[in-house]
Amino acid sequence: MKPDRQRLEADLLHFVQSRGPRYAAVAPDTDLLDGGLLDSLLLTDLILHVEGQHGIEFDSHHVSPANFRTVSAIADLVLEQFSPRPPA
Amino acid sequence: MKWPLHDRAIPDRKIPLYNRFYLHAPRASHVDPVMVWGTEIDADALTSFLRERNRGGRVLLTTAHALIRATAVALAQFPDMNVRVVGRRVYAFRQVNIRMGFVHRGSREIDLLVVRDADAKSLEQIGLEVWERLLQASRGTGPRDRDRARLRRIPGFWFRQVLRIYGFVDRHVRLPTLGRLDELRGGGAMVNDLSFPGAPPMRSYKPTRFPDQADSLNLTLGPIESKVVARAEQLVSTGVMPLFLRADHRLVDAYQVGRFLAVVRDLLSHPERLDLPAGADATTPANK
Repeated sequence: MKPDRQRLEADLLHFVQSRGPRYAAVAPDTDLLDGGLLDSLLLTDLILHVEGQHGIEFDSHHVSPANFRTVSAIADLVLEQFSPRPPA
Repeated sequence: MKWPLHDRAIPDRKIPLYNRFYLHAPRASHVDPVMVWGTEIDADALTSFLRERNRGGRVLLTTAHALIRATAVALAQFPDMNVRVVGRRVYAFRQVNIRMGFVHRGSREIDLLVVRDADAKSLEQIGLEVWERLLQASRGTGPRDRDRARLRRIPGFWFRQVLRIYGFVDRHVRLPTLGRLDELRGGGAMVNDLSFPGAPPMRSYKPTRFPDQADSLNLTLGPIESKVVARAEQLVSTGVMPLFLRADHRLVDAYQVGRFLAVVRDLLSHPERLDLPAGADATTPANK
């Protein structure tokens, strides 16, 4: 089932903020890349968390800067997986 | 079945005498052939480059990917460093394969991956391959994960016996790689990115050697620190990252280690050169 955007974003934000004091001030539009906050551990944990919560699966092609720059962008990526795809 | 090493050992006459002193030293001499050289790289240049590449690239690039690429390019330039010891002989690897350590999120322990022919792959290709492996590991669904699960089920006593026998044979015989678990022996260099957020400043680091003894080189990158340096007769604050290289005196001498490390350092400090195609001269004249 397609998650509610607000709840999804709040869940992702809580997940990131709970990483420690460095992450406490992260907002939905905080640039995680420029701020040096997103490392491979957080990224894989985030993907694992989202996959577990929503039953979707990402592959390495999803790991782009645009998709993981902000919490808001990650929420967009998750919601995108529920959108009907155009026929190939 | 793949043979990661060339068929013939490097003849003794081609190995410098000083390296042979270490190579043929009796165990009773307690010889220690491990050398470690530490240096620093210009972190500002590397982070700016990655920031720029991550503005619009297809793959999220990190310092680990840059370290893999820089090590591979340097190894292609110094093939005499892409070797290992088997028994008392030195063999060259057939390919430039780089191993990387990572935290396996599925099992919460350290695991390794291998990037094959890393010198022929672009930074983006390396990035994609590494992310694919990390995602597989985080789910525990990769083929290598199934092998690890089988290994875990072997009772402790038998695990020790298997490891001892395998270790003995691997140290003395040029073996092929048979499965996914021993494919790691195909990589003569191991990289370790310890620049994760929150890591303490790194003053010194001595990377370990694996029991398989195939990783003749280890390059470890530490966290960014601010440092005041003199530039154009002015004191400026700049970001630096420590870079440590562990090498084996049975295979190389300190001057070779220094030249190799200078190339890796140069590439990471001028990361735009990491984008040059394989075989292109990516070094500054000072390092030739």
